[in-house]
Amino acid sequence: MDWGRLRFFLGEVFTNFSRNAGMQFTAIGTVAVTIVLLGAFLYVRETIATFGTGVLSQIEIAVFLKDDVDDARAKDLAAKLTADPRIASVVYVPRREGLRRLKDVLGSDFDTSLLTANPLPNAFHVRVRDADLVPAVARSIDRDPRVAKTDYAADTVQKLLKAATVLGRIGLALIILLSISAAIVIANTIRLTVFARRREIAIMQLVGATNMYIRLPFIAEGMLAGVLGAAVAIAVLALAAYQVVPKVAATLSFVTFHVNALALCFELLAVGATVGLVASWFSVGRYLRT
Amino acid sequence: MYPNGTRALDDVDLEIEKGSFLFLVGHSGTGKSSLLKLLYREELPSSGQVVVDDIRVDTLRRSRVPKLRRNIGVVFQDFKLLSHKTVWENVAFALQVTGTRTKDVMRMVPRSLDLVGLSHKARMFPSELSGGEQQRAAIARALVGNPKILLCDEPTGNLDPTNTTEIMELLQRINIKGTTVVVATHNQAVVDRMRRRVVRLEHGRILHDDERGYYFRGLGQTALLPG
Repeated sequence: MDWGRLRFFLGEVFTNFSRNAGMQFTAIGTVAVTIVLLGAFLYVRETIATFGTGVLSQIEIAVFLKDDVDDARAKDLAAKLTADPRIASVVYVPRREGLRRLKDVLGSDFDTSLLTANPLPNAFHVRVRDADLVPAVARSIDRDPRVAKTDYAADTVQKLLKAATVLGRIGLALIILLSISAAIVIANTIRLTVFARRREIAIMQLVGATNMYIRLPFIAEGMLAGVLGAAVAIAVLALAAYQVVPKVAATLSFVTFHVNALALCFELLAVGATVGLVASWFSVGRYLRT
Repeated sequence: MYPNGTRALDDVDLEIEKGSFLFLVGHSGTGKSSLLKLLYREELPSSGQVVVDDIRVDTLRRSRVPKLRRNIGVVFQDFKLLSHKTVWENVAFALQVTGTRTKDVMRMVPRSLDLVGLSHKARMFPSELSGGEQQRAAIARALVGNPKILLCDEPTGNLDPTNTTEIMELLQRINIKGTTVVVATHNQAVVDRMRRRVVRLEHGRILHDDERGYYFRGLGQTALLPG
Protein backbone atom coordinates (compact mmCIF):
# COMPACT_ATOMS: atom_id res chain seq x y z
CA MET A 1 0.00 0.00 0.00
CA ASP A 2 1.56 3.31 -1.06
CA TRP A 3 1.34 6.54 0.89
CA GLY A 4 -1.53 7.99 -1.16
CA ARG A 5 -3.69 4.92 -0.61
CA LEU A 6 -2.90 4.86 3.10
CA ARG A 7 -3.81 8.54 3.42
CA PHE A 8 -7.08 7.94 1.55
CA PHE A 9 -7.89 5.02 3.84
CA LEU A 10 -7.08 6.90 7.05
CA GLY A 11 -9.04 9.89 5.76
CA GLU A 12 -12.09 7.66 5.31
CA VAL A 13 -11.71 6.23 8.82
CA PHE A 14 -11.40 9.61 10.54
CA THR A 15 -14.24 11.14 8.53
CA ASN A 16 -16.45 8.27 9.66
CA PHE A 17 -15.26 8.56 13.21
CA SER A 18 -15.83 12.28 13.59
CA ARG A 19 -19.20 12.15 11.85
CA ASN A 20 -20.50 10.00 14.71
CA ALA A 21 -18.65 11.76 17.52
CA GLY A 22 -21.56 11.61 19.97
CA MET A 23 -22.19 7.91 19.50
CA GLN A 24 -18.49 7.17 19.53
CA PHE A 25 -18.23 8.97 22.85
CA THR A 26 -20.81 6.58 24.30
CA ALA A 27 -19.08 3.58 22.78
CA ILE A 28 -15.69 4.63 24.11
CA GLY A 29 -17.22 5.24 27.55
CA THR A 30 -18.81 1.80 27.66
CA VAL A 31 -15.58 0.13 26.61
CA ALA A 32 -13.69 2.19 29.19
CA VAL A 33 -16.01 1.18 32.05
CA THR A 34 -15.77 -2.47 31.03
CA ILE A 35 -12.02 -2.40 30.82
CA VAL A 36 -11.57 -0.49 34.09
CA LEU A 37 -13.49 -3.30 35.79
CA LEU A 38 -11.54 -5.94 33.89
CA GLY A 39 -8.24 -4.29 34.82
CA ALA A 40 -9.21 -3.93 38.49
CA PHE A 41 -10.36 -7.54 38.48
CA LEU A 42 -7.12 -8.83 36.97
CA TYR A 43 -5.14 -6.70 39.42
CA VAL A 44 -7.00 -7.96 42.49
CA ARG A 45 -6.94 -11.55 41.25
CA GLU A 46 -3.22 -11.51 40.70
CA THR A 47 -2.65 -9.94 44.11
CA ILE A 48 -4.80 -12.54 45.85
CA ALA A 49 -3.11 -15.34 43.94
CA THR A 50 0.35 -14.07 44.88
CA PHE A 51 -0.74 -13.58 48.47
CA GLY A 52 -2.43 -16.97 48.73
CA THR A 53 0.43 -18.99 47.31
CA GLY A 54 2.85 -17.01 49.49
CA VAL A 55 0.89 -17.91 52.60
CA LEU A 56 0.45 -21.54 51.56
CA SER A 57 4.17 -22.01 51.04
CA GLN A 58 4.72 -20.89 54.61
CA ILE A 59 2.27 -23.31 56.18
CA GLU A 60 3.85 -25.48 58.85
CA ILE A 61 2.57 -28.69 60.27
CA ALA A 62 2.98 -28.78 64.03
CA VAL A 63 3.74 -32.35 65.07
CA PHE A 64 3.30 -32.95 68.81
CA LEU A 65 5.06 -35.98 70.21
CA LYS A 66 3.84 -38.32 72.91
CA ASP A 67 5.22 -37.58 76.40
CA ASP A 68 7.11 -40.88 76.64
CA VAL A 69 9.15 -40.23 73.51
CA ASP A 70 12.69 -39.34 74.54
CA ASP A 71 15.16 -37.23 72.59
CA ALA A 72 16.81 -40.20 70.89
CA ARG A 73 13.52 -41.58 69.54
CA ALA A 74 12.56 -38.05 68.53
CA LYS A 75 15.77 -37.78 66.48
CA ASP A 76 14.90 -41.07 64.77
CA LEU A 77 11.56 -39.66 63.77
CA ALA A 78 13.21 -36.42 62.56
CA ALA A 79 15.51 -38.46 60.32
CA LYS A 80 12.56 -40.41 58.95
CA LEU A 81 10.63 -37.20 58.21
CA THR A 82 13.61 -35.51 56.56
CA ALA A 83 13.93 -38.50 54.23
CA ASP A 84 10.36 -37.90 52.94
CA PRO A 85 10.73 -36.13 49.54
CA ARG A 86 7.54 -34.14 50.12
CA ILE A 87 8.98 -32.47 53.20
CA ALA A 88 11.13 -29.36 52.85
CA SER A 89 12.38 -28.92 56.39
CA VAL A 90 11.98 -30.30 59.90
CA VAL A 91 12.74 -28.24 63.00
CA TYR A 92 12.81 -29.89 66.41
CA VAL A 93 11.26 -27.75 69.14
CA PRO A 94 11.88 -29.31 72.60
CA ARG A 95 9.31 -28.48 75.28
CA ARG A 96 11.62 -25.92 77.01
CA GLU A 97 12.03 -24.08 73.73
CA GLY A 98 8.29 -24.28 73.10
CA LEU A 99 7.51 -22.66 76.41
CA ARG A 100 10.02 -19.89 75.79
CA ARG A 101 8.43 -19.15 72.38
CA LEU A 102 5.01 -19.10 73.95
CA LYS A 103 6.25 -16.55 76.53
CA ASP A 104 7.65 -14.42 73.71
CA VAL A 105 4.33 -14.40 71.90
CA LEU A 106 2.14 -13.75 74.92
CA GLY A 107 4.54 -11.38 76.72
CA SER A 108 4.14 -10.33 80.34
CA ASP A 109 0.45 -11.28 80.49
CA PHE A 110 1.54 -14.85 80.84
CA ASP A 111 2.69 -15.69 84.35
CA THR A 112 4.80 -18.89 84.18
CA SER A 113 5.29 -18.97 87.91
CA LEU A 114 1.80 -20.43 88.20
CA LEU A 115 2.89 -23.50 86.30
CA THR A 116 4.17 -26.41 88.36
CA ALA A 117 5.43 -28.21 85.26
CA ASN A 118 5.90 -27.46 81.53
CA PRO A 119 2.57 -28.47 79.92
CA LEU A 120 3.93 -28.47 76.36
CA PRO A 121 4.99 -31.61 74.52
CA ASN A 122 8.12 -31.93 72.43
CA ALA A 123 7.28 -30.94 68.87
CA PHE A 124 8.46 -30.72 65.26
CA HIS A 125 7.69 -27.86 62.90
CA VAL A 126 7.45 -29.49 59.48
CA ARG A 127 7.41 -27.44 56.30
CA VAL A 128 6.03 -29.13 53.17
CA ARG A 129 7.29 -28.43 49.64
CA ASP A 130 3.86 -28.21 48.01
CA ALA A 131 0.98 -26.59 49.86
CA ASP A 132 -1.51 -29.02 48.28
CA LEU A 133 0.25 -31.95 49.94
CA VAL A 134 -0.12 -30.56 53.46
CA PRO A 135 -3.22 -32.60 54.43
CA ALA A 136 -1.75 -35.87 53.08
CA VAL A 137 1.61 -35.37 54.77
CA ALA A 138 -0.10 -34.49 58.04
CA ARG A 139 -2.16 -37.69 57.88
CA SER A 140 0.85 -39.90 57.19
CA ILE A 141 2.78 -38.32 60.08
CA ASP A 142 -0.25 -38.84 62.30
CA ARG A 143 -0.01 -42.61 61.81
CA ASP A 144 3.42 -42.81 63.47
CA PRO A 145 3.12 -44.31 66.99
CA ARG A 146 5.41 -41.66 68.47
CA VAL A 147 3.13 -38.84 67.36
CA ALA A 148 0.35 -37.58 69.62
CA LYS A 149 -1.25 -35.04 67.30
CA THR A 150 -0.67 -32.96 64.15
CA ASP A 151 -2.06 -29.52 63.48
CA TYR A 152 -1.96 -27.09 60.58
CA ALA A 153 -3.71 -23.85 59.51
CA ALA A 154 -4.27 -24.81 55.92
CA ASP A 155 -8.04 -25.07 56.26
CA THR A 156 -8.41 -21.33 56.77
CA VAL A 157 -6.17 -20.46 53.86
CA GLN A 158 -7.89 -22.93 51.59
CA LYS A 159 -11.26 -21.42 52.48
CA LEU A 160 -9.86 -18.00 51.65
CA LEU A 161 -8.60 -19.18 48.27
CA LYS A 162 -11.90 -20.91 47.55
CA ALA A 163 -13.77 -17.68 48.30
CA ALA A 164 -11.37 -15.84 46.00
CA THR A 165 -12.07 -18.35 43.22
CA VAL A 166 -15.84 -17.96 43.57
CA LEU A 167 -15.54 -14.17 43.62
CA GLY A 168 -13.28 -14.43 40.58
CA ARG A 169 -15.91 -16.40 38.66
CA ILE A 170 -18.62 -13.89 39.50
CA GLY A 171 -16.32 -11.07 38.43
CA LEU A 172 -15.48 -12.85 35.19
CA ALA A 173 -19.17 -13.39 34.36
CA LEU A 174 -19.84 -9.71 35.05
CA ILE A 175 -16.99 -8.69 32.78
CA ILE A 176 -18.17 -10.97 29.97
CA LEU A 177 -21.63 -9.43 30.19
CA LEU A 178 -20.14 -5.94 30.15
CA SER A 179 -17.95 -6.82 27.17
CA ILE A 180 -21.02 -7.99 25.29
CA SER A 181 -22.84 -4.75 26.03
CA ALA A 182 -19.77 -2.75 25.02
CA ALA A 183 -19.66 -4.72 21.77
CA ILE A 184 -23.35 -4.02 21.17
CA VAL A 185 -22.86 -0.29 21.69
CA ILE A 186 -19.95 -0.31 19.26
CA ALA A 187 -21.92 -2.37 16.77
CA ASN A 188 -24.78 0.13 16.91
CA THR A 189 -22.39 3.04 16.48
CA ILE A 190 -20.87 1.39 13.44
CA ARG A 191 -24.32 0.68 12.08
CA LEU A 192 -25.06 4.40 12.31
CA THR A 193 -21.88 5.12 10.38
CA VAL A 194 -22.80 2.49 7.82
CA PHE A 195 -26.21 4.09 7.50
CA ALA A 196 -24.73 7.57 7.17
CA ARG A 197 -22.44 6.22 4.47
CA ARG A 198 -24.90 4.05 2.59
CA ARG A 199 -24.46 6.18 -0.54
CA GLU A 200 -20.71 5.69 -0.47
CA ILE A 201 -21.16 1.98 0.10
CA ALA A 202 -23.64 1.72 -2.76
CA ILE A 203 -21.17 3.46 -5.07
CA MET A 204 -18.29 1.33 -3.85
CA GLN A 205 -20.28 -1.79 -4.64
CA LEU A 206 -21.29 -0.36 -7.99
CA VAL A 207 -17.74 0.36 -9.11
CA GLY A 208 -16.53 -3.05 -7.97
CA ALA A 209 -14.93 -2.57 -4.57
CA THR A 210 -14.58 -5.87 -2.76
CA ASN A 211 -16.61 -6.43 0.39
CA MET A 212 -13.38 -6.69 2.34
CA TYR A 213 -12.32 -3.28 1.11
CA ILE A 214 -15.69 -1.77 1.99
CA ARG A 215 -15.52 -3.38 5.40
CA LEU A 216 -12.03 -2.28 6.31
CA PRO A 217 -12.63 1.40 7.24
CA PHE A 218 -15.57 0.42 9.44
CA ILE A 219 -13.55 -2.25 11.18
CA ALA A 220 -10.73 0.21 11.71
CA GLU A 221 -13.29 2.62 13.15
CA GLY A 222 -14.64 -0.01 15.56
CA MET A 223 -11.15 -0.99 16.63
CA LEU A 224 -10.28 2.66 17.13
CA ALA A 225 -13.26 3.04 19.48
CA GLY A 226 -12.18 -0.08 21.36
CA VAL A 227 -8.56 0.99 21.66
CA LEU A 228 -9.49 4.53 22.75
CA GLY A 229 -11.84 3.06 25.36
CA ALA A 230 -9.03 0.85 26.62
CA ALA A 231 -6.67 3.84 26.72
CA VAL A 232 -9.13 5.81 28.84
CA ALA A 233 -9.51 2.80 31.12
CA ILE A 234 -5.75 2.43 31.48
CA ALA A 235 -5.47 6.11 32.45
CA VAL A 236 -8.16 5.63 35.11
CA LEU A 237 -6.48 2.47 36.40
CA ALA A 238 -3.06 4.12 36.50
CA LEU A 239 -4.51 6.98 38.52
CA ALA A 240 -6.10 4.49 40.89
CA ALA A 241 -2.88 2.53 41.16
CA TYR A 242 -0.87 5.58 42.17
CA GLN A 243 -3.50 7.12 44.45
CA VAL A 244 -5.25 4.19 46.10
CA VAL A 245 -2.86 1.28 46.16
CA PRO A 246 -0.17 2.89 48.37
CA LYS A 247 -2.82 3.68 51.02
CA VAL A 248 -4.22 0.16 50.93
CA ALA A 249 -0.73 -1.28 50.99
CA ALA A 250 0.05 0.80 54.09
CA THR A 251 -2.96 -0.68 55.88
CA LEU A 252 -2.56 -4.26 54.69
CA SER A 253 1.19 -4.46 55.08
CA PHE A 254 1.24 -8.25 54.80
CA VAL A 255 -0.15 -8.17 51.26
CA THR A 256 2.37 -7.55 48.51
CA PHE A 257 0.99 -5.67 45.51
CA HIS A 258 2.72 -6.93 42.47
CA VAL A 259 1.38 -6.68 38.94
CA ASN A 260 3.21 -6.50 35.60
CA ALA A 261 1.81 -3.11 34.56
CA LEU A 262 3.11 -3.11 30.98
CA ALA A 263 1.78 -6.57 30.19
CA LEU A 264 -1.56 -5.62 31.73
CA CYS A 265 -1.76 -2.48 29.55
CA PHE A 266 -1.17 -4.53 26.40
CA GLU A 267 -3.75 -7.09 27.48
CA LEU A 268 -6.36 -4.40 28.07
CA LEU A 269 -5.62 -2.68 24.74
CA ALA A 270 -5.92 -6.04 23.00
CA VAL A 271 -9.25 -6.67 24.68
CA GLY A 272 -10.53 -3.24 23.56
CA ALA A 273 -9.36 -3.78 19.99
CA THR A 274 -10.90 -7.26 19.87
CA VAL A 275 -14.26 -6.07 21.16
CA GLY A 276 -14.24 -3.30 18.51
CA LEU A 277 -13.17 -5.71 15.77
CA VAL A 278 -15.82 -8.33 16.48
CA ALA A 279 -18.57 -5.74 16.89
CA SER A 280 -17.86 -3.85 13.69
CA TRP A 281 -17.23 -7.01 11.69
CA PHE A 282 -20.72 -8.31 12.37
CA SER A 283 -22.28 -4.86 12.11
CA VAL A 284 -21.01 -4.24 8.57
CA GLY A 285 -21.34 -7.86 7.56
CA ARG A 286 -25.05 -7.79 8.16
CA TYR A 287 -25.37 -4.74 5.95
CA LEU A 288 -23.26 -6.09 3.10
CA ARG A 289 -25.15 -9.35 2.82
CA THR A 290 -28.40 -7.63 1.91
CA MET B 1 -39.57 -12.18 -10.94
CA TYR B 2 -39.97 -10.33 -7.67
CA PRO B 3 -41.08 -12.02 -4.43
CA ASN B 4 -44.50 -10.40 -4.64
CA GLY B 5 -45.09 -12.25 -7.87
CA THR B 6 -44.50 -9.31 -10.19
CA ARG B 7 -42.74 -10.27 -13.38
CA ALA B 8 -40.36 -7.42 -14.22
CA LEU B 9 -39.07 -9.23 -17.28
CA ASP B 10 -40.53 -12.18 -19.12
CA ASP B 11 -39.09 -14.23 -21.96
CA VAL B 12 -36.49 -11.62 -22.88
CA ASP B 13 -33.96 -12.86 -25.43
CA LEU B 14 -31.52 -10.12 -26.29
CA GLU B 15 -28.02 -10.07 -27.67
CA ILE B 16 -25.92 -6.92 -27.63
CA GLU B 17 -22.91 -6.73 -29.96
CA LYS B 18 -19.56 -5.77 -28.54
CA GLY B 19 -18.90 -2.08 -29.24
CA SER B 20 -22.48 -1.32 -30.26
CA PHE B 21 -24.91 1.39 -29.14
CA LEU B 22 -28.38 0.42 -28.00
CA PHE B 23 -31.46 2.18 -26.70
CA LEU B 24 -33.75 0.40 -24.30
CA VAL B 25 -37.09 2.16 -24.44
CA GLY B 26 -40.52 1.82 -22.92
CA HIS B 27 -42.70 3.40 -20.28
CA SER B 28 -41.70 3.54 -16.64
CA GLY B 29 -42.01 0.16 -15.01
CA THR B 30 -41.63 -1.89 -18.18
CA GLY B 31 -38.41 -3.49 -16.98
CA LYS B 32 -35.68 -1.32 -18.50
CA SER B 33 -33.92 -0.80 -15.20
CA SER B 34 -34.38 -4.44 -14.24
CA LEU B 35 -32.74 -5.52 -17.47
CA LEU B 36 -29.73 -3.28 -16.75
CA LYS B 37 -29.56 -4.53 -13.17
CA LEU B 38 -29.35 -8.10 -14.44
CA LEU B 39 -26.29 -7.10 -16.46
CA TYR B 40 -24.30 -5.70 -13.54
CA ARG B 41 -25.74 -8.27 -11.16
CA GLU B 42 -27.62 -5.94 -8.94
CA GLU B 43 -30.42 -8.44 -9.40
CA LEU B 44 -30.54 -12.10 -10.31
CA PRO B 45 -32.98 -13.68 -12.75
CA SER B 46 -35.41 -16.21 -11.30
CA SER B 47 -34.78 -18.24 -14.44
CA GLY B 48 -32.71 -17.92 -17.57
CA GLN B 49 -29.16 -16.94 -18.35
CA VAL B 50 -27.29 -13.65 -18.31
CA VAL B 51 -23.95 -13.56 -20.10
CA VAL B 52 -21.72 -10.49 -20.11
CA ASP B 53 -18.36 -10.61 -21.86
CA ASP B 54 -18.46 -14.45 -21.89
CA ILE B 55 -19.14 -14.56 -18.13
CA ARG B 56 -22.27 -16.24 -16.79
CA VAL B 57 -23.53 -13.44 -14.55
CA ASP B 58 -26.54 -15.31 -13.15
CA THR B 59 -24.38 -18.06 -11.65
CA LEU B 60 -21.40 -15.85 -10.79
CA ARG B 61 -20.01 -16.34 -7.29
CA ARG B 62 -20.45 -13.36 -4.97
CA SER B 63 -16.72 -12.96 -4.62
CA ARG B 64 -16.40 -12.52 -8.41
CA VAL B 65 -18.99 -9.74 -8.64
CA PRO B 66 -16.51 -6.88 -7.98
CA LYS B 67 -14.39 -8.00 -10.93
CA LEU B 68 -17.45 -8.02 -13.20
CA ARG B 69 -18.46 -4.54 -12.09
CA ARG B 70 -15.03 -3.11 -12.79
CA ASN B 71 -15.77 -3.96 -16.42
CA ILE B 72 -19.14 -2.22 -16.39
CA GLY B 73 -19.68 1.51 -15.85
CA VAL B 74 -23.13 2.55 -14.68
CA VAL B 75 -24.75 5.99 -14.88
CA PHE B 76 -28.07 6.95 -13.27
CA GLN B 77 -30.70 9.63 -13.59
CA ASP B 78 -29.81 11.05 -10.15
CA PHE B 79 -26.02 10.99 -10.84
CA LYS B 80 -25.19 9.41 -7.44
CA LEU B 81 -22.27 11.73 -6.79
CA LEU B 82 -20.91 12.18 -3.26
CA SER B 83 -21.76 15.72 -2.23
CA HIS B 84 -18.85 16.17 0.20
CA LYS B 85 -16.27 15.22 -2.39
CA THR B 86 -15.07 17.33 -5.29
CA VAL B 87 -15.49 16.21 -8.90
CA TRP B 88 -11.89 15.03 -8.89
CA GLU B 89 -12.40 13.07 -5.67
CA ASN B 90 -15.65 11.57 -6.90
CA VAL B 91 -13.95 10.23 -10.01
CA ALA B 92 -10.84 9.13 -8.11
CA PHE B 93 -13.06 7.39 -5.53
CA ALA B 94 -14.00 4.68 -8.04
CA LEU B 95 -10.33 3.87 -8.51
CA GLN B 96 -9.26 4.25 -4.89
CA VAL B 97 -11.86 1.84 -3.54
CA THR B 98 -10.80 -0.78 -6.06
CA GLY B 99 -7.23 -0.60 -4.83
CA THR B 100 -5.66 1.29 -7.74
CA ARG B 101 -2.16 2.61 -7.15
CA THR B 102 -1.96 6.37 -6.52
CA LYS B 103 0.34 6.77 -9.50
CA ASP B 104 -2.33 5.29 -11.77
CA VAL B 105 -5.09 7.33 -10.14
CA MET B 106 -3.16 10.53 -10.90
CA ARG B 107 -2.89 9.45 -14.52
CA MET B 108 -6.38 8.06 -15.12
CA VAL B 109 -8.57 10.68 -13.43
CA PRO B 110 -7.45 13.65 -15.57
CA ARG B 111 -7.84 11.59 -18.73
CA SER B 112 -11.41 10.71 -17.84
CA LEU B 113 -12.29 14.29 -16.83
CA ASP B 114 -10.80 15.48 -20.10
CA LEU B 115 -12.97 13.04 -22.04
CA VAL B 116 -16.17 14.46 -20.56
CA GLY B 117 -14.88 18.06 -20.70
CA LEU B 118 -14.83 18.76 -16.98
CA SER B 119 -11.11 19.28 -16.38
CA HIS B 120 -11.62 22.94 -15.52
CA LYS B 121 -14.18 22.11 -12.81
CA ALA B 122 -12.29 19.28 -11.14
CA ARG B 123 -11.99 21.12 -7.84
CA MET B 124 -15.67 22.00 -7.58
CA PHE B 125 -18.28 20.23 -5.53
CA PRO B 126 -21.31 18.65 -7.22
CA SER B 127 -23.61 21.32 -5.77
CA GLU B 128 -21.64 23.97 -7.66
CA LEU B 129 -22.28 22.29 -11.01
CA SER B 130 -25.21 22.28 -13.40
CA GLY B 131 -27.18 19.09 -13.90
CA GLY B 132 -25.42 18.38 -17.18
CA GLU B 133 -22.03 18.85 -15.57
CA GLN B 134 -22.97 16.58 -12.71
CA GLN B 135 -23.95 13.89 -15.19
CA ARG B 136 -20.62 14.38 -16.98
CA ALA B 137 -18.87 13.88 -13.66
CA ALA B 138 -20.87 10.70 -13.11
CA ILE B 139 -19.92 9.49 -16.60
CA ALA B 140 -16.28 10.31 -15.90
CA ARG B 141 -16.49 8.18 -12.78
CA ALA B 142 -18.16 5.34 -14.67
CA LEU B 143 -15.47 5.40 -17.35
CA VAL B 144 -12.36 6.07 -15.31
CA GLY B 145 -11.53 2.40 -14.91
CA ASN B 146 -11.80 1.75 -18.69
CA PRO B 147 -14.85 -0.51 -18.59
CA LYS B 148 -15.87 -2.33 -21.76
CA ILE B 149 -19.53 -1.55 -21.17
CA LEU B 150 -21.36 1.62 -20.13
CA LEU B 151 -24.92 1.23 -18.85
CA CYS B 152 -27.02 4.39 -18.58
CA ASP B 153 -30.34 4.33 -16.73
CA GLU B 154 -32.31 7.42 -17.76
CA PRO B 155 -29.13 9.49 -18.04
CA THR B 156 -30.98 12.58 -19.23
CA GLY B 157 -34.08 12.24 -17.07
CA ASN B 158 -33.17 15.24 -14.94
CA LEU B 159 -31.70 17.40 -17.70
CA ASP B 160 -32.96 20.18 -19.97
CA PRO B 161 -32.89 19.64 -23.78
CA THR B 162 -29.55 21.41 -24.30
CA ASN B 163 -27.77 19.35 -21.67
CA THR B 164 -29.56 16.25 -22.92
CA THR B 165 -28.14 16.77 -26.40
CA GLU B 166 -24.65 17.32 -25.01
CA ILE B 167 -24.79 14.19 -22.88
CA MET B 168 -26.03 12.11 -25.82
CA GLU B 169 -23.21 13.45 -28.01
CA LEU B 170 -20.78 12.53 -25.26
CA LEU B 171 -22.20 8.99 -25.07
CA GLN B 172 -21.83 8.68 -28.82
CA ARG B 173 -18.19 9.78 -28.65
CA ILE B 174 -17.59 7.21 -25.94
CA ASN B 175 -19.18 4.54 -28.12
CA ILE B 176 -16.98 5.47 -31.08
CA LYS B 177 -13.94 4.94 -28.87
CA GLY B 178 -15.01 1.30 -28.56
CA THR B 179 -17.15 1.10 -25.44
CA THR B 180 -20.45 -0.76 -25.65
CA VAL B 181 -23.16 1.71 -24.59
CA VAL B 182 -26.67 0.76 -23.46
CA VAL B 183 -29.06 3.61 -22.72
CA ALA B 184 -32.41 3.05 -21.04
CA THR B 185 -34.66 6.01 -21.64
CA HIS B 186 -38.18 7.13 -22.31
CA ASN B 187 -37.04 10.31 -24.05
CA GLN B 188 -38.55 9.89 -27.47
CA ALA B 189 -36.81 12.90 -29.03
CA VAL B 190 -33.38 11.58 -28.14
CA VAL B 191 -34.07 8.15 -29.55
CA ASP B 192 -35.62 9.37 -32.77
CA ARG B 193 -32.80 11.82 -33.44
CA MET B 194 -29.99 9.32 -32.94
CA ARG B 195 -31.36 6.51 -35.14
CA ARG B 196 -29.52 3.70 -33.39
CA ARG B 197 -30.64 0.20 -32.46
CA VAL B 198 -33.83 0.43 -30.41
CA VAL B 199 -35.22 -2.33 -28.21
CA ARG B 200 -38.69 -1.56 -26.94
CA LEU B 201 -39.98 -3.25 -23.80
CA GLU B 202 -43.57 -3.45 -22.74
CA HIS B 203 -44.79 -5.30 -19.65
CA GLY B 204 -41.41 -6.94 -19.37
CA ARG B 205 -41.41 -8.34 -22.90
CA ILE B 206 -39.56 -7.21 -26.01
CA LEU B 207 -42.12 -5.54 -28.22
CA HIS B 208 -39.75 -4.73 -31.05
CA ASP B 209 -36.02 -4.62 -31.79
CA ASP B 210 -34.89 -2.51 -34.76
CA GLU B 211 -31.55 -1.46 -36.16
CA ARG B 212 -31.65 2.30 -36.74
CA GLY B 213 -35.09 2.38 -35.12
CA TYR B 214 -37.52 4.87 -33.68
CA TYR B 215 -39.14 5.08 -30.27
CA PHE B 216 -42.39 3.90 -31.86
CA ARG B 217 -41.94 1.32 -34.57
CA GLY B 218 -42.40 2.61 -38.07
CA LEU B 219 -43.17 6.09 -36.94
CA GLY B 220 -40.83 9.04 -37.22
CA GLN B 221 -41.15 11.93 -34.85
CA THR B 222 -43.13 13.82 -37.48
CA ALA B 223 -45.94 11.28 -37.38
CA LEU B 224 -46.72 12.34 -33.85
CA LEU B 225 -47.11 16.01 -34.65
CA PRO B 226 -50.64 17.19 -34.10
CA GLY B 227 -52.89 17.39 -37.11
